[in-house]
Amino acid sequence: MGTPCHFALFELQPGFNLDLDQLAVRYRELARGVHPDRFADASEREQRLALEQSASLNEAYQTLKSPAKRARYLLALKGGELPLEVTVHDPEFLMQQMQWREELEDLHDSADMAGIAAFKRRLKVAQEQLNDSFAACWDDAAQREQAERLMRRMQFLDKLTYEVRQLEERLDD
Amino acid sequence: MALLQIAEPGQSPQPHQRRLAVGIDLGTTNSLVAALRSGLSEPLADANGNVILPSAVRYHADRVEVGESARLAASSDPFNTVLSVKRLMGRGLSDVKQLGEQLPYRFVGGESHMPFIDTVQGPKSPVEVSAEILKVLRERAEKTLGGELVGAVITVPAYFDDAQRQATKDAAKLAGLNVLRLLNEPTAAAVAYGLDQSAEGVVAIYDLGGGTFDISILRLTGGVFEVLATGGDSALGGDDFDHAIASWMVAQAGLSADLDPGTQRTLLQAACAAKEALTDASSVAVAFGDWQAELTREAFDAMIEPMVARSLKACRRAVRDANIEIEDVQAVVMVGGSTRVPRVREAVAEMFGREPLTDIDPDQVVAIGAAIQADTLAGNKRDGGELLLLDVIPLSLGLETMGGLMEKVIPRNTTIPVARAQDFTTYKDGQTAMMIHVLQGERELISDCRSLARFELRGIPPMVAGAAKIRVTFQVDADGLLSVSARELGSGVEANIQVKPSYGLTDGEIAKMLKDSFQYASDDKVARVLREHQVDAQRLIEAVQAALEVDGERLLDAEERMVIELRMQELSELLKGTDGYAIEQQTKRLSQVTDAFAARRMDLTVKAALSGRNLNEIEE
Repeated sequence: MGTPCHFALFELQPGFNLDLDQLAVRYRELARGVHPDRFADASEREQRLALEQSASLNEAYQTLKSPAKRARYLLALKGGELPLEVTVHDPEFLMQQMQWREELEDLHDSADMAGIAAFKRRLKVAQEQLNDSFAACWDDAAQREQAERLMRRMQFLDKLTYEVRQLEERLDD
Repeated sequence: MALLQIAEPGQSPQPHQRRLAVGIDLGTTNSLVAALRSGLSEPLADANGNVILPSAVRYHADRVEVGESARLAASSDPFNTVLSVKRLMGRGLSDVKQLGEQLPYRFVGGESHMPFIDTVQGPKSPVEVSAEILKVLRERAEKTLGGELVGAVITVPAYFDDAQRQATKDAAKLAGLNVLRLLNEPTAAAVAYGLDQSAEGVVAIYDLGGGTFDISILRLTGGVFEVLATGGDSALGGDDFDHAIASWMVAQAGLSADLDPGTQRTLLQAACAAKEALTDASSVAVAFGDWQAELTREAFDAMIEPMVARSLKACRRAVRDANIEIEDVQAVVMVGGSTRVPRVREAVAEMFGREPLTDIDPDQVVAIGAAIQADTLAGNKRDGGELLLLDVIPLSLGLETMGGLMEKVIPRNTTIPVARAQDFTTYKDGQTAMMIHVLQGERELISDCRSLARFELRGIPPMVAGAAKIRVTFQVDADGLLSVSARELGSGVEANIQVKPSYGLTDGEIAKMLKDSFQYASDDKVARVLREHQVDAQRLIEAVQAALEVDGERLLDAEERMVIELRMQELSELLKGTDGYAIEQQTKRLSQVTDAFAARRMDLTVKAALSGRNLNEIEE
């Protein structure tokens, strides 16, 4: 939608390692300036402007806040749009995925809440490892392929985390 | 206008001219209006000193009765007396039938599939019924505050969907109220508490009203209220407790299940009284006709346990959605009259591991918070700095895709305002039109989601299947209301709609109701409109003058400044007369020529917000 770079909006240099607390502080400062509540009695045009600015600010914040989305965004900034769906050539990770999925199914069948908590902790560790690996290679053009692979792994882990949450919800019934 | 005022943090141009604004809690059982008076937010009372207005509307042939007296007539005149109308807002006839046999009204279908209640004054939509309640509150406020209202903040359950929100806004419009913002009830409650205690940290707001249950998790940081997650059940409330007792009475007394509406009302009133008595007493005597029995609190607790459990489940889900652990919640606020039930308090305390806060009257806390926000939105600056409320959408928004599936475009708990686009393509050669079906809900099958609207994008140039690129953009504003546009990117063909929910009123219906409303029939309206234009014009002039003083030199060249001053001069001249239309037009003109100036000042503010704290990093 023709918005400037998300990092620029927060006056940051594009990079993967971000101080999330600081990002949140900055987000709140910026939101104060452009939120439609400040324009409740302003002209229609100004209200629309505030709505658009707020929406792009929120979008930027959401993107930068999530490691997977931030990673994807950085790669897109560097080398053009990435297709959402691709056939992934990552046999090693494919094995890992299948293993996790099986575990999730077992947890579902056994309705093991403690097991789910432990599973979640392991996913978190895996996520942090991925973040570190991505931070080390995304900026290197020679490692682009590896960076994309890592980014897709991050996306998968996000999805899996979401599925765990859904499982928790189902078991809560 | 507000934009032009950004850089003058001091006082408003004319501090003595306080703009009157109120917060309204339009509740299922009771409604309230509150306002800021000498720095304190408080509910406004009627002539008899009552702050609570029962949300009951009784239609007589020649007049409308609202409040306690109407509520008392519910048993004797069930068809013409509407209670708990909030449960019908934004609902279709079929939804309403699902709500149960409990509703004694005679329904007739309207042009918009909204259920109309057949009364002695003819069919009335839930929107009109709600508007009657709002009118009474508006009049009360104008009388108490001694002037016309600039606007109102009206609260809605956080869990209200688009249709329910739109219906609420329509009701306000019908009541002659300018809606400054629809505010989620839990957020309003947080504001009421947050200001008093200048709290920081994560809070949970547990709001059990007459007909709805809401749970919200918020993070409070220096005057910013960020909703992390919200959830609930738009058909769970204290009314259900009454129904549980009533069903028990029916079973115990051996009554037949299909009672006439009047008896049913009497029964429910007895049930409600028993529930309230059990807040302090451990048992209560209940009677119906010749039948008598004792209801213990233990038995009552057991009856409502499934409902309490449902509310706790929603709490757990909200905590998960907020990506926090239950231990992270530092305070729990109780809202809504139904949180007086001891079992409810106990269960909530158990779950969060801490005693919930009940310092502010749970019936009043929402209106009190809404009034604080209304005052800010009306442009009255507060000493303690402005608050900022960052709310979320409660339910995911999406589109129907092939195979009757819902594809989410904006997931629930996304901060608003938000705009998001999704691209689609044609699936047939030569296809020139595409149906866009907008949905709200969490389930995968569209039949399990709420249909918000359907519209068609026509005039797509014929191409082979898959060649057209159709971008559908969703935009949700700060009230949580959705508008959708679709555009074929190659040809630029476009279609827009402000989503008018399938169960909302059509624009035609609203226009007719407004015309019919006697409030608008009198000359009063002309005078009122003129005054509004005068006030708007005056405010704009003051704002522009103040802005010119601060930033005129550095942001405008001589010619731009001259044009602005000329338009301002013309507007000042017109203000001496009484031509409302001319004033309105000239105000628009002045607003237009200051647009670029306003935009530059907005950029400056954004930069100013960034400077200071992070200079080191910007300069590397």
